[in-house]
Amino acid sequence: MATSVLKTSQPIPLEAFVAEIERRRAAAGYPEMPRNSGNRRTESKRALLKAIEEAGGTW
Amino acid sequence: MMSLRPDFERALRFFGRVGLGFRAKGYDPPVLVGGAAVELFSNNLIATGDFDISTPRQDAFERELVALGFTKPAGKGMATRGWIHQDFKLGFEVVSSTLLDGMADRERLVLIDLGEDGIAAILSIEDTIADRMGQFHSGSAPEMLQQARVLASLHKDVDVTYLDRRIREETGGDLGVEDIPTDTA
Repeated sequence: MATSVLKTSQPIPLEAFVAEIERRRAAAGYPEMPRNSGNRRTESKRALLKAIEEAGGTW
Repeated sequence: MMSLRPDFERALRFFGRVGLGFRAKGYDPPVLVGGAAVELFSNNLIATGDFDISTPRQDAFERELVALGFTKPAGKGMATRGWIHQDFKLGFEVVSSTLLDGMADRERLVLIDLGEDGIAAILSIEDTIADRMGQFHSGSAPEMLQQARVLASLHKDVDVTYLDRRIREETGGDLGVEDIPTDTA
């Protein structure tokens, strides 16, 4: 198994974590990922996301 | 993108601060799971609307949220267990008391050092992929297979033995690591 900055019991500084993910995205050719369909959302989740949306949040 | 989207990073730092409160009390830290973990492990290939949290100490977690200025959405149609904060547009919600029904290994959590904002504990990449596969297997979220595929393409250093076991546990033995598509088309 390859060693990795993500495979350690020590906390990873946020900047190093983000840089490592970015390096992997580049190596993988910047793949796209389908977003969640939302089919499995609970009523509580729907209400929370509605509140976020009404506050101006987008995702 | 060499940084997280600003709202996501703000939310992560608040999450880390909740963890600081937990550590001060000697509690295991709350763990970030679900779509926010996917966003973090892919750096925004998907954007999530909220942080799903696993902790057996929901009351303590929510007391920390209140102390940090979180509020519950109020008004018609707002019957939610979630919380919001005026400083960023993501919600927080405790979704479970055990990590994937107690099957996920806490020793594999990814810990992110946020400096003065503490340490954020994230569900392992293997368990995050297995969770996607379990949701795919349920039949109600077909897109989860492709999320698992992309995560696996970004994290080729996963513990394959553990990942395979966890996928089988999440899918009643029907799927394994070989069922994650490997093409990148």
